Amino acid sequence: MPWCLAALFGQAEATTQDFTLYISSGTWPINGAGGTIVDIWGYGDRAGSPTVPGPALTVYEGDNVNLTVVNNHSIDHNLVIQGVSTDLSAIPPGGSKTYSFTAPTAGTYLYSDTLNNSVNREMGLYGAFIVRPADGSNRAWTGGPAYTFERTWVVSDMDKSRWNDVAGSGGTIDTAVYKPNYFLINGLGGFDGMMDPATTLDGMVGDTALVRIVNAGQYSQSLHFHANHFEVLTSNGVRWPSPYQQLDTINVPPMTTADVLFHLNQPGHYPMHSHTSQMETANGIYLNGVATMIMIH
Amino acid sequence: MSIGNYQKLALALLLGAELLGLGTSAGATTINRTFCVSSLNKSLSGQSVAFWGFGDCGGRGGMGGSGMMGGGTSPGPVIELGAGDTLNLSLMINMMTPQEAYPYNGHTIHLHGADVPTSEDGVPETNNNAVNGDTYTWSPQTGHEGTYMYHCHVHTVKHLEMGMYGAIVVRPKDASGNLLNRITPDPATAYNYQQIYVLGTVDPAYHTASGDSTVFGDYNPQYFLISGKEGKTASSPAISLAAATSKKVALRLAGLHSTNATFAIKDSAGNLKSFTIYVQDGRALPTPKSVTSVDISPGQRFDVLTTLPATSGTWYPQVTYKRLRDNSPYATVYGKITF
Repeated sequence: MPWCLAALFGQAEATTQDFTLYISSGTWPINGAGGTIVDIWGYGDRAGSPTVPGPALTVYEGDNVNLTVVNNHSIDHNLVIQGVSTDLSAIPPGGSKTYSFTAPTAGTYLYSDTLNNSVNREMGLYGAFIVRPADGSNRAWTGGPAYTFERTWVVSDMDKSRWNDVAGSGGTIDTAVYKPNYFLINGLGGFDGMMDPATTLDGMVGDTALVRIVNAGQYSQSLHFHANHFEVLTSNGVRWPSPYQQLDTINVPPMTTADVLFHLNQPGHYPMHSHTSQMETANGIYLNGVATMIMIH
Repeated sequence: MSIGNYQKLALALLLGAELLGLGTSAGATTINRTFCVSSLNKSLSGQSVAFWGFGDCGGRGGMGGSGMMGGGTSPGPVIELGAGDTLNLSLMINMMTPQEAYPYNGHTIHLHGADVPTSEDGVPETNNNAVNGDTYTWSPQTGHEGTYMYHCHVHTVKHLEMGMYGAIVVRPKDASGNLLNRITPDPATAYNYQQIYVLGTVDPAYHTASGDSTVFGDYNPQYFLISGKEGKTASSPAISLAAATSKKVALRLAGLHSTNATFAIKDSAGNLKSFTIYVQDGRALPTPKSVTSVDISPGQRFDVLTTLPATSGTWYPQVTYKRLRDNSPYATVYGKITF
């Protein structure tokens, strides 16, 4: 998966970051117990290769960002970075648009297609926009808490039969009814999410992980960490005061974000999972859904 | 785990009688309990719904007598211990234990929020599929006072919904080892009364389905509970407390539901009453927060304190259960405090 498009080196001064994303329809596998293949619409970093979520866009504070979106799909779309970009207008089929802006304060942001009464987003048009401190340090923000490694968890939900199947075949969705039966972490059911190295918290005792949680779905996500409590650094872009409050379960409402700091304190293998019943399944079949592993060595 | 589950359980049972109540160091106590699981039925809005509940096995650690069947309830018994104490919580599975068929047979006890090692965590997928009985050990430390939960972690979508859960309260102790009537060691958290509100929601379809069923992909809660009971109106509360004026009440809120929820306290005129959150998820807030409502999502706990007025009256602590998509309400369940 083309997970990180940013240059992987730290930088001391603002540079220009150019991205191009291509919108198209496709299919997406959800593996493991209860798995399936769903129709999606997604952003991809190559034409004709949509992914769920879209590629993570990583920049540094103050960067000049030029984000070009090419609409290779049959209906209108857009891309809005919540709290950053303000242009809600549609990109028509076959059209493209370049959003240019200065990267805001360091943190975790949600980007999504805001059109079509949540249908475009539900179909997979969302992703994470990550702003690192200008000095390139492994800190949540300039002078903020340090971490050893970071993970981004884009969590979401899909109602296959009432939404994806219908939209995928050109039908009209009754958006008043939404009963999601697939729950994803970084586009994966838990069967894959528990093994995906870009998702699991895998490290040594003494390491600290910054976990950037983005809820791109329509259901609240109540995420429970086994092993250790974590510190809450931000919720929905608002920094919490230090010393940071410690929790073992965090509620991340739809279209919000949270940054938490997880200290790897004791060896072992532990799950992190949604504590909401059906979200631990794929179409009701256990064990799947929003889940990953914490592996501490 | 270095020894087999059965050996570990047997050892705990043998040692149980000797260790029970004996302090191991100044003021520290080892608490040994053994839970069995049993079937029960609740009448909810006139409908009979099957539950599975934890209960103390009774009689010599469940090794004989009528204790085999456990007498479980939902929620299960409250476990109370002091910071610095050690809990050895054993689970006994026997012929009478209600179970699902393979691969979801057996049960575990997960000590939710306890930050225990993998061997004590009660998660079959990480612990050699140990689902036929085990002893779960936890020693909460000073600074860990507050409310925790226990629940089965086998086929959790089914077993938790079946009612296999309960609350654990960790209280501060004084120098002599006595439990203090405080939420934390901070004297500002002293209370005259405490009550535990276990949040629960019930989709009866989940109670009859089992195994790999698509029923578990669509949660439609029909019944809404506080501590195992419906309390649909202020005049028929799920839980009540007879207190005295000007006293302090600690309410311990444990989220074992599967929806969004909001807790609030109202007086008989419907006015919101203030309370202070001192602990969330077993950790003191760096700065206690005074509020008139708090959202509780599945898995969360809050320990809050409120001061009753100087003139007699009635307050209604209440939980409004809400939809995960848009927070629109399902129902409100009432508690009651008279003073």
